[in-house]
Amino acid sequence: MRPRVLFARVVLMLRALQRLSTNQSVCLPQSSLPSSQSTCSPQSSDPVLLLPPRRRCCGAPSILHGDPGCHGSTSEAVMPGYLRLLFVLLCLLLIGECRKHRSRKKRWSAPAETPKPGSPLAKKVADGTKSRKLKTTHLLRVDEHDFTMRPAFAGPAVPVGVDVQVESLDSISEVDMDFTMTLYLRHYWKDERLAFPSATNKSMTFDGRLVKKIWVPDVFFVHSKRSFIHDTTTDNIMLRVFPDGHVLYSLRVTVTAACNMDFSRFPLDSQTCTLELESYAYTDEDLMLYWKSGDESLSTDDRISLSQFLIQKFHTTSRLAFYSSTGWYNRLYINFTLRRHIFFFLLQTYFPATLMVMLSWVSFWIDRRAVPARVSLGITTVLTMSTIITGVNASMPRVSYIKAVDIYLWVSFVFVFLSVLEYAAVNYLTTVRDGKERKLREKVREQSCSQTLPCSCGIPHTKTMMLDGTYSEADANSLAGYTRASMPAEDASDKQEQMVVHLALDNESTGTKRKGIRSFRIIENTHTIDTYSRMIFPGAYILFNLIYWCVYC
Amino acid sequence: GLKLQGRIRVDLKMKKLDSTKSLLIKSEQLLRIEDHDFAMRPGFGGSALPVGIDVQVESIDSISEVNMDFTMTLYLRHYWQDDRLAFPSSSNKSRTFDSRLIKKIWVPDVFFVHSKRSFIHDTTMENIMLRVFPDGNILYSVRITVTALCSMDFSSFPLDTQNCSLELESYAYNENDLMLYWKNGNDSLRTDEIVLSQFFVEDFQPSFGLAFYSSTGWYNRLYINFILRRHIFFFMLQTYFPTMLMVMLSWVSFWIDRRAVPARVSLGITTVLTMSTIITGVSASMPQVSYVKAVDIYLWASFLFVFLSVIEYAAVNYFTTVEEMKKLKNAKIPSSYNANQAMAFDGCFHDNDIDLPSFPEAASTPNTERNTQSRNSTISAPSEGTRLRRRNTIKHNLNFIMSNSYMIDSYSRVIFPLAYLLFNIIYWSLYA
Repeated sequence: MRPRVLFARVVLMLRALQRLSTNQSVCLPQSSLPSSQSTCSPQSSDPVLLLPPRRRCCGAPSILHGDPGCHGSTSEAVMPGYLRLLFVLLCLLLIGECRKHRSRKKRWSAPAETPKPGSPLAKKVADGTKSRKLKTTHLLRVDEHDFTMRPAFAGPAVPVGVDVQVESLDSISEVDMDFTMTLYLRHYWKDERLAFPSATNKSMTFDGRLVKKIWVPDVFFVHSKRSFIHDTTTDNIMLRVFPDGHVLYSLRVTVTAACNMDFSRFPLDSQTCTLELESYAYTDEDLMLYWKSGDESLSTDDRISLSQFLIQKFHTTSRLAFYSSTGWYNRLYINFTLRRHIFFFLLQTYFPATLMVMLSWVSFWIDRRAVPARVSLGITTVLTMSTIITGVNASMPRVSYIKAVDIYLWVSFVFVFLSVLEYAAVNYLTTVRDGKERKLREKVREQSCSQTLPCSCGIPHTKTMMLDGTYSEADANSLAGYTRASMPAEDASDKQEQMVVHLALDNESTGTKRKGIRSFRIIENTHTIDTYSRMIFPGAYILFNLIYWCVYC
Repeated sequence: GLKLQGRIRVDLKMKKLDSTKSLLIKSEQLLRIEDHDFAMRPGFGGSALPVGIDVQVESIDSISEVNMDFTMTLYLRHYWQDDRLAFPSSSNKSRTFDSRLIKKIWVPDVFFVHSKRSFIHDTTMENIMLRVFPDGNILYSVRITVTALCSMDFSSFPLDTQNCSLELESYAYNENDLMLYWKNGNDSLRTDEIVLSQFFVEDFQPSFGLAFYSSTGWYNRLYINFILRRHIFFFMLQTYFPTMLMVMLSWVSFWIDRRAVPARVSLGITTVLTMSTIITGVSASMPQVSYVKAVDIYLWASFLFVFLSVIEYAAVNYFTTVEEMKKLKNAKIPSSYNANQAMAFDGCFHDNDIDLPSFPEAASTPNTERNTQSRNSTISAPSEGTRLRRRNTIKHNLNFIMSNSYMIDSYSRVIFPLAYLLFNIIYWSLYA
């Protein structure tokens, strides 16, 4: 209805009411009425007749006494009770209509906006963050409770389930005897103070900022040296609250923990390390830590790999730990076994050591008269072995027992050392024999001098061993002769001498000696010690290797 | 209507058990934290507050000689009474809290004297425990890793024993305000199984002392003393054994013919080089102290032995040359003989004409030589006085040595090993 129409109708109604009221009560019975112009007949016996009062009667500024017909009638009409009630009702109706009209007017004046299904407008009702009433803290009623106390404080222990996903094993250090691991640590517990009403059963997810306001279990890593929660780009913490009060709290942690390693079989060893989780403050009576899914609580990324180790297995255990001052605590263990890859050490340590030992055997095949050569060969291999040994120990902790690699290196060192000693013995015995030879030669010379044989009593042309590793010509004729071809002309006496010496020293001279003398001489160039060493040293080393690898593999 | 009433009733029932849900019984209200000023210690203005200390050593992480410090991880527990924290309780059970309450109440400010670095572990939450008993007794436990200074004396390294101690003291409160004491006397200090690779932990002893600071007064100080004995095995294998082998290798030189000049020289020099490498290797992991360590004595004595073997060969070589010269002069030299060839450039002897006995078995020749010499000098020897005789004997000895330079080698073969053995006996009996 248009307002004007409405207003007009109301006015009409009011006027009607007014007339009605004046008709009934206005005219008073007055006996002495002058000739008035009032046409109203108050003494109408018929009250029902509603005659509209004449204007003159009521409208004129009349004097009380002058106008009998309009006694006390002013311009205002006097309304009875029910009429007032009706009036009030009408006013109220009017107000209501006006209000509705206002909104309608606005709608009409604004550009047409039809809300589509799913539009922001339709969603506004569903997004609780925009409504001032539903702040998180209000939703979860955080300020109402005291979260410094655990759930069910002074009640039974709160069970907290733990779930771990190992992201990586960053490093394992032998010198420090520790390992570094990065893992996702998840806690599951129920806190009824955090229950909230929800139509769907969906959880609400929060990040690290809520953690400071609520209670979370204070799990720590026993025997850890350093640890931290990653905080790039924000604290890597997740909190998920379910409507019934169940909470899932997940963090990403890197921890460096101690691991007692036993190196007695290094580098053919296996190490077992454990990471231990425990609550710091709450004992067994307050907080029960347990693995959420038993042995399946521990999962690992597939790509965990270490350069030096093979990760054999991860498994979980759970125990109680007792502290005399504070009581019994639940402790969860993550155990893993690592087996070392031998290849690197084979290439770096075993192989060079073996080669050095073999190199020292080369010395037995070199002529024993090449003194500097054999000595320097022996000494250099000793020096290299010593360097290899120092190199291995640089990256190892200073343990008080012998390691497998130590055994190998020291035995190899002993072999190399013995080859040097062997040459010292050979040399010594050679010089002894040479000395004997010379003595004998002198005797022969003296004898030959004393006899009728022509002797060159002067200095014989014998040249003894030139110790730079070569032989002079004279020696070609001596017992340890080399080749005949390089023999120059000699004195007859010399030859005779040599022959005599030859005969004297070779007791078992046979006729065939001359023919086989060349081979004999070659054989005689090598000392018997050398000959035996060529077989004994390699044989002993191979035996040692067989024993070693059988014991440790 | 009725349903709603039922639910409310149930909630109320549970609420009674779980006091955390009740608005009235917040921990702070329970412990009446807001009522008191916890910036002041308990009994402020009164007598000193006794604070008991209990330590459980979890591990000794590392001991560094170069830095002269050690790193230890321990559980440090404090026990005291604070009446302001007493709360009414029917059962006598304590209430456990974690680190968030610490900031609101008073706790003793114990620090580690002479510590370099320390931290309270804070994964996943700060490793702090607070346990409050109804009568106001408090147990406050923290897990700490501390790196502290330990003056080490290396004069017997590596056969040494080090005494280190960790010292606890209150920073602000002197003995008029706070009395630190070991809670259970000698049993206050407990250790987990501590295994160190290089050391053997002999003893953990708590002790007590007072420390005086001229500006601030007397403070109670608690000491955690422990004795570490070093395992010698690693150094035996790494240092002593290679050194002994090098010295023995240098003796090999005495058995090689003295005419093998390059061989003997290279043998001597290479053993000196290896000794020098071993010495450098040991010093790399040690602090640069101003006194001599036991291992230094051993290494330098061995170095000296090896060095002397080289000097010995130089002497042998020199005397041999001299001898050869003499013999060249004395003996009949053919004209073709070229004295320069006596020792060629490669240092070898080309003793064409000279008969050089090189082994002790030819002992007859020196006797004959001596006889000839004595025959030559029969005039001078017996009739002279003692002085002449003495001078003669010295000169005679020198001549003797010079003419028998091989004897230096023969004696060295016996003297050097014996001397080294004697040195070892003295060394090990002194230090072990």
